[in-house]
Amino acid sequence: MHSQKELVVMDEKVDNVGIVKKEVVKGQIIDIHGPGLQSTIEVKEDIPFGFKIALRDIEAKERILKFGEAIGVASAPIAKGEMVHVHNVEGLRGRGDLEA
Amino acid sequence: MDKTFLGYPRPDGSAGIRNYVLVLPVQRQMNIVAKKISEAVPGTRTVIFPGELGRPRGDRQVIYRTLAGLGLNPNTAAVLVIGSRRNAGYDELKAERYIDTISASGKRVEVLMLAEADGFYNALGKGIKIARDMVREASRTFRSPFGLEHLSLGVKCGMSDSTSAICGNPTVGKVFDTLVRAGGRAVFSETTEVIGAEHLLVKRARNEKVAGKLMEAVKRTEELAKATGEDIRKTNPIPENIAGGLTTLEEKSLGAIVKAGTAPIEDVIPYAERITRPGLYFMDAWMSSLSLPTGYAASGAQLFLYQMGGQGVPGREFPAPAVSSGVVIPIMYLTGNSNTYQRASDTIDFNSGTVLEDLETLDEAAERLLDEILKIASGAKTSAETIRFEDPIELYLQGPSL
Repeated sequence: MHSQKELVVMDEKVDNVGIVKKEVVKGQIIDIHGPGLQSTIEVKEDIPFGFKIALRDIEAKERILKFGEAIGVASAPIAKGEMVHVHNVEGLRGRGDLEA
Repeated sequence: MDKTFLGYPRPDGSAGIRNYVLVLPVQRQMNIVAKKISEAVPGTRTVIFPGELGRPRGDRQVIYRTLAGLGLNPNTAAVLVIGSRRNAGYDELKAERYIDTISASGKRVEVLMLAEADGFYNALGKGIKIARDMVREASRTFRSPFGLEHLSLGVKCGMSDSTSAICGNPTVGKVFDTLVRAGGRAVFSETTEVIGAEHLLVKRARNEKVAGKLMEAVKRTEELAKATGEDIRKTNPIPENIAGGLTTLEEKSLGAIVKAGTAPIEDVIPYAERITRPGLYFMDAWMSSLSLPTGYAASGAQLFLYQMGGQGVPGREFPAPAVSSGVVIPIMYLTGNSNTYQRASDTIDFNSGTVLEDLETLDEAAERLLDEILKIASGAKTSAETIRFEDPIELYLQGPSL
């Protein structure tokens, strides 16, 4: 786990999302320096405390990775710095609605 | 320094952290008698017995082992069994079964039968008299020091948000590891919230058989979810999870499992089954805070830990989700979210959100939590113990109701 001023990344080697430790605002710049992470992220929209931010561009249907594991797939393309939540992510388990 | 608590010694060698006389109705018809006796006598606990008539055998067995387990729990000093008459009712639920099982543990068991007491009003008087004597006698058991090997903890995470996985649950996980290393017992549950993380848990199963049971439990629960024809995301994660930043069931589950620590999983047990040997256990059951505390109490846990996220719970000074569903075991509330703690510090007993604020390490928070648990075990009250309310308890029954 990598924790810095603005965000926490649960598995810094693998994850494509981080969790913001305090709310961040559009235009804010986050510099991540840590094992496996060297990046500057421009925050694309206001993100509340505890919500997820994309650490890199994510394509539609690409797996969202947190804890080094898939927590779902992107239901739309997600740009680095955007919020990642129910509006652009689909979970795949327990989906009675998908069974014909 | 050796970690100890002051507990009530029981004849079977266990140690209670509380000292209740349990007034136990063994048919639904006796609920009112048990309740009235318990209302009259401080120091007692009772439970409203779920209607047993028309339930299939599996559910009758759940009812039996839940109520017997409450009687056997170390926090119970003695039991007053309230029945209608001898040798009556379903085989699984006969008064004699409870009497024999609980007596065998060495505890005092008294019996009040409506038919022998000559009616409701006489039964109440007799029952109050017996209960008063039992409470006076129980109060002459005094606390003495016990080690962690005599402690059994159960945990649930609720109203989870992203702090649950970052510091709230891991703090409990470290305490669980310490407890299990010392020979104590620990139990976790909430099968729906293992979906998406079962491949990680199964690696820790003690053997192939336990691994199989775990996968089977998760598979069965997911099949039940799918059989509704509904998208689980409309049910679990719950609205409070989504308002708190958790997006999918898988994400919630991956964060949830860390509350159990890293010890091997000794066995997968059904709801309310007794734990008789040291180690960490998974109870295959529903997550409800109106159901799980009762199930853990029946398993022998002395304290229920509710690890709350709370970011998605609005307002301040919100009441606890449950205060008395442990029946004979207290509920302790914890959070890893300092914002939640500030808004509801009279509901919550412990905050590990200090870790996220970089004020404390996870190890320091875990050490602090263990010390707090030992104080509660020795008699310090949790917030939930300081308000009178009877939660509507729901045993985990599968049905059908026939």
